[in-house]
Amino acid sequence: MPGKRRRVVLEDVSLRVERGELVYLVGPTGSGKSSLLKLLYMEMQPDSGVVRVADYRSDRIKPSETPFLRRSLGIVFQDFQLLPDRSVFDNVAFAQYVTGHRGKAVKSKVMHVLSRVGLSHKLRQYPHQLSGGEQQRVVIARAIINDPWIILADEPTGNLDPTVAEEIQRLLIGLHRSGMTVVMATHDYRLVRSFPARTLAVMNRRIVEVDPSSLSG
Amino acid sequence: MLPYSIKEGLAGFRRASFSSVAATSAMTAALVMVGLFAIVTWQARGISEWLKQRVGEVELFLEDTSDTVAVSLFERARSTPGVAQAEFISKERAQEIFRQEFGEEADIFFDGTFLPASIRVRVEPDYINADSLSVLVAEFASWNRVDEVVFNQALLTKVESNLRLISLIGISIGALVLLASVFLVANTIRLAIYARRLMIRTMKLVGATDGFIRKPFIVEGVIQGFLSSILALFLLWFIQRAAMAYVPQLEPLALPGVLVFSVVLTGSGCALGWMGSASAVGRFLKHISLH
Ligand SMILES: Nc1ncnc2c1ncn2[C@@H]1O[C@H](COP(=O)(O)OP(=O)(O)O)[C@@H](O)[C@H]1O
Ligand SMILES: [Mg+2]
Repeated sequence: MPGKRRRVVLEDVSLRVERGELVYLVGPTGSGKSSLLKLLYMEMQPDSGVVRVADYRSDRIKPSETPFLRRSLGIVFQDFQLLPDRSVFDNVAFAQYVTGHRGKAVKSKVMHVLSRVGLSHKLRQYPHQLSGGEQQRVVIARAIINDPWIILADEPTGNLDPTVAEEIQRLLIGLHRSGMTVVMATHDYRLVRSFPARTLAVMNRRIVEVDPSSLSG
Repeated sequence: MLPYSIKEGLAGFRRASFSSVAATSAMTAALVMVGLFAIVTWQARGISEWLKQRVGEVELFLEDTSDTVAVSLFERARSTPGVAQAEFISKERAQEIFRQEFGEEADIFFDGTFLPASIRVRVEPDYINADSLSVLVAEFASWNRVDEVVFNQALLTKVESNLRLISLIGISIGALVLLASVFLVANTIRLAIYARRLMIRTMKLVGATDGFIRKPFIVEGVIQGFLSSILALFLLWFIQRAAMAYVPQLEPLALPGVLVFSVVLTGSGCALGWMGSASAVGRFLKHISLH
């Protein structure tokens, strides 16, 4: 793993996620969940081995191709990272504009994804006028507007109250049910138990499949 | 409808007004410093040309001789390499000049006929240095019928060493000013771009290409550079006016010169904004992480 102090975080891991799957990554803080996601959106390169996402391979991807890989991914972080000086509408439309989309189609697309996350009525508001849950909905709308086939979510509910976290989780589950692949890092085991799916535990530099109902805490 | 990058570049002014103002101010300051330096250099050049021309005058006093000899000496002096201009001053002319300078009453004391004819030579600027001049003077002095060759050796030496010192100081100050300006501008722009790291990160997150991310910043940089150069031109104009009020001898630049100066300064401003923002975003894009 890159960084000032080198330390092996993941070793000998082999993992395959099929299209349309929902996968949880669980494990204590510092176990390497975020690092695994970074390998997927190719902000990190493995020291050995290969990461393949759709047609992009970590050992062959050119820096100029990375943006196009990112367009096929919807990335959601714990801290919402909305642009504070733009309205909800503009924050979501931003993802379209900066990937070269123009015209009326952008507007209808924004309206469509905002209704999908249940925020059509707040499109003129600014991030600071929204609750945390609403901000995360905007982030999800922004993540899906470029029609990614996979959502990579790194503790998307980490900053939210339990009830709000559950609403966001429902939203992600809904996206998964409509056909999207979702890989979600979380240490909220309660949520995993409520919405069980394939669960991978990252611990001691390895990845092991676990039974979600066996998770405690 | 404006292209997206231009719209974003303009919007940058509203969004990051503080860093925009800071970058524009820094570039204005840099351009004023560099422009001021250029003007001072230009003025100093004018003064040094003038000084050198005064110094680069050599006068050949002739022995009492016939007009034909004098004319041939004059022709010879005029065609000597390094001579820009030569003027023949006959005995009569010398007397006239003398009279002009000292008035009619001079006749009471002098009959003026003692004044010799002379050839006054103006040396080409390239030859105005102690070495070339003394070679030239030695040659003139070796000619038959030339009685004495006079030039201001002491003044030349003094002017020369002073000019050398002044231009050395000037070049050092200029280099320092340029370095300081580039440093100031580079850092201010870097800060301005750092202030918008969230936007850049978001662009990368959703898959914008580096070229696309760079464009609005470059547009904004060029606009800032352009504005800076206009501001700098105004400031320089005021400074020059104020300076001329104190030192009336200063020569105002003629219109074509002003135009060239303005165009060059505006071009430099735009280039400064362009390069400053392009390099700052480029560096930033290389190091930024998505999370
Ligand atoms: N950029 C980095 N440079 C160096 N070490 C890092 C970096 N990012 C994460 N780490 C280390 O890698 C380990 C795994 O971190 P991370 O993948 O963030 O775990 P998790 O998301 O499961 O909490 C941690 O020990 C962390 O300190
Ligand atoms: Mg993490």
